[in-house]
Amino acid sequence: MASIERRREAVANGAALAAFLAAGIGAFALGMIVILNETGLFAAPALYAPAGGVTGRTTLAAAIWLIGWAVLHRRWKDRQIEARALYSLSLALIGLGLLLTLPPVWKLF
Amino acid sequence: MDTMLFTARSLWTMTHGMALGGGAMIGLAVALFSLRAMRVAGGADATADRQARHVAWLIVVTASLLWSSVLLGTYVTFPAYRATPPPGITDLSQYPKALIQSNPGTAWLHSFAMETKEHVPWIAAMLATAVASVGLRYRAKLLGDRQLNDMATVLLVICFVLVSFVALLGVFVNKVAPLE
Repeated sequence: MASIERRREAVANGAALAAFLAAGIGAFALGMIVILNETGLFAAPALYAPAGGVTGRTTLAAAIWLIGWAVLHRRWKDRQIEARALYSLSLALIGLGLLLTLPPVWKLF
Repeated sequence: MDTMLFTARSLWTMTHGMALGGGAMIGLAVALFSLRAMRVAGGADATADRQARHVAWLIVVTASLLWSSVLLGTYVTFPAYRATPPPGITDLSQYPKALIQSNPGTAWLHSFAMETKEHVPWIAAMLATAVASVGLRYRAKLLGDRQLNDMATVLLVICFVLVSFVALLGVFVNKVAPLE
């Protein structure tokens, strides 16, 4: 019992916030890459030709997500951080990213 | 007479949508229920720690199913879906994208449904992975810390809605132009 309590107190919330915010960054990155592709401003090269450009777009977004996660985790893993604002930011990035991946939104640009 | 019940393409599609995608949806539903039902007020005890370990591994398995479905969909079933038919061919049944686009009434299944399915599941997989990592690292705190539990629940709800939505779109596409 005592060991559980010690572990609960020892684990700061920074790593969780890093994971959540990185997911938001990944979602937003994918949305931006998709919209840039649709507007003709940037096209990620296809990594697997039979599947087309989606392989380049999603791999690039996944790389941004993982790199962002690694950087945030390294900086925050031992820190106790005020969570509310970062939760909101994560949700906003996820929402924006999702919005930008929806085809009806592409027509607005 | 030797008749193949399922082709390799349809087996891959079923694995992608029903086995992996369906498994992920079930996992997400159970994980969501568990996150709320097993939530503990105050401190964690040995029971909560054991339950949290199960919940964490459930979310890890769910995220793995989701990633498997996403990767299989992107690299195996999508190329078969978007294959270009040779010039002059009239039977488009082996070319789902061309078949869908040949009819104005079903063209939206590509321009909206498949275009959405190309990207949105990747976001769902990122969200599930984030929650899985938090579950593994924080264990009982995921059930005992209200703020952490709420955020994990919100992300899994978003994930569940996204997976359900793209699964439904997949059903529509497969109804009109199955990969056979």
